[in-house]
Amino acid sequence: MKIRFLLPVLAVVYLAIPYLWGGNNYVMSLLVAAFIIAGVALAWALLANLGGMVSFGHSAFFGVGAYLSALLCINYRLPVLAGILMGGIGAAVASIAMLPALRLRGPYFALAVLAYANIFKILAMEFKGITEGAAGVTNIPALPTVMGFDFSSKLGTYLVIVTIVLLFTGSYHLIRVSHYGAALKAMHDSEDATRVVGVNSTLLKAMMLFVSAFMTGVVGAVNAHYINFIDPDYAFDLGWTLLPMVAVVFGGYRTLMGPLVGAVGIFMLDQLVFKALIGTGHQIMLGAVLAVMVLFSPDGLVPLIGDKWKRIRRAQA
Amino acid sequence: MLKLESINVRFGGLAALQDVSLLVDSEDMVGLVGPNGAGKTTLFNVISGLVRPTGGRVLFNNIDVLRKPLYARARMGIGRTFQIPQPMHELTVRENLLVAQRFGTGSVNQSKIDEILDFVRLSDKSDRNAATELALTELKALEVAKALAIQPKLLLLDEVLSGLETAGKRQFMQMLSDLHWRFDVGILIIEHDIETISSVCKRVCVLNFGKLIADGTADAVFKDPEVIKSYTGESGA
Repeated sequence: MKIRFLLPVLAVVYLAIPYLWGGNNYVMSLLVAAFIIAGVALAWALLANLGGMVSFGHSAFFGVGAYLSALLCINYRLPVLAGILMGGIGAAVASIAMLPALRLRGPYFALAVLAYANIFKILAMEFKGITEGAAGVTNIPALPTVMGFDFSSKLGTYLVIVTIVLLFTGSYHLIRVSHYGAALKAMHDSEDATRVVGVNSTLLKAMMLFVSAFMTGVVGAVNAHYINFIDPDYAFDLGWTLLPMVAVVFGGYRTLMGPLVGAVGIFMLDQLVFKALIGTGHQIMLGAVLAVMVLFSPDGLVPLIGDKWKRIRRAQA
Repeated sequence: MLKLESINVRFGGLAALQDVSLLVDSEDMVGLVGPNGAGKTTLFNVISGLVRPTGGRVLFNNIDVLRKPLYARARMGIGRTFQIPQPMHELTVRENLLVAQRFGTGSVNQSKIDEILDFVRLSDKSDRNAATELALTELKALEVAKALAIQPKLLLLDEVLSGLETAGKRQFMQMLSDLHWRFDVGILIIEHDIETISSVCKRVCVLNFGKLIADGTADAVFKDPEVIKSYTGESGA
């Protein structure tokens, strides 16, 4: 991202939003939820855009990250931030189980990963001695207070999740502009063409899976320490895959900002507008918005805005 | 440099290659000809690692590469082109070469990229989208350029002249003659056109129904009755 775009974005998320709504717990809780979805959406888009894999299994990484961090912090008194990091690493390790699925393509990969995700949910349900089973894990330690600032508050959690999401965005950008990113993009349509020039395509795809799983695990862990309670149905809910997917398609999965704009935009639209208009079943409006977006701009909102902006600039020139 | 020992490939009931043995040295520029379905591209696929043979050995610089994956063989110095050009989508011409060089050799050398682009006459197209903004002759040139970017010791060229009009073919033939010496690379080239292959290669091998039926100088091979029969269905005697 160019610096002239980055600075205003940083000013808005770190200064304007906390200044305007920092004391409003309702708005802050909405933003925390939106950025949690944005984090997963970004990780999902990285795997889809660079790895060429459409995953229905990100709820597994989300759940593993949440459980691992929560259990390590409760049972081994690990500091929360270390627990969050371990949650990410744990999710990346869990993704090793999905490596055999890398041989599959398209819908076969998607279905295989969906099955894997269910296995993790069943494991969390059945290993009651470790996970407390269906009863779930309670009293998960909250985010810490550092130098008098309470990061477990709505504003504190917002700053933590925004920072994590921005760091992930930067990492995604660095991968995308590297030679690895170029090779990954090239692999989508012509994998053999990349393999005959020395690209180990399986390794690159596996690396993207690890990175995506790590990111999702970290976000899952932050969420666990934010709400202080998880159970298998919640932590491994398919919604942790589907809502980010909708956000990514809405925002534009091939762009860096698409997943973020999509997640924050669609979640806030749903919670602030659609919920006010239709109390029950407001999610139906999300489906309608997504259908309109796919029909009129299949590449998503960010490319649509980009095109319009270019046209305006051209007309002015 | 390349030694094939009794290569056999079966696709179900079809024997695509039968006991094919072949030697290619670093100084060689060898033509590989044969009718459609003779097994020429299958042989390239075996050498480059796309197809695993049912029997035989592939030695490259005295190392058995049969169990080595495609990318590892490329890094060892086996470069290849495809009959139907396979540019890397979403990348420019230069980026295609950069990816090939970075992964094929482990480093990036922009001046070498410039040299290759200049050699294949794509310097002025280096910023174009490789998949959507190149004509067929340019796509074929890009195939060769990508293969050169990995600094190959052996280059497998699969019908790089097919589909080109006369002028493009002449330009390409000149390039191929220069390529062998300029980049110090052994070449094995598949081509249908006997006249073309005779003018470029001193040595020619002929495959027919998966069997190597001739290996020698172009003059001798194309006078071989069995070779004539494989092409015309009639005896040359």
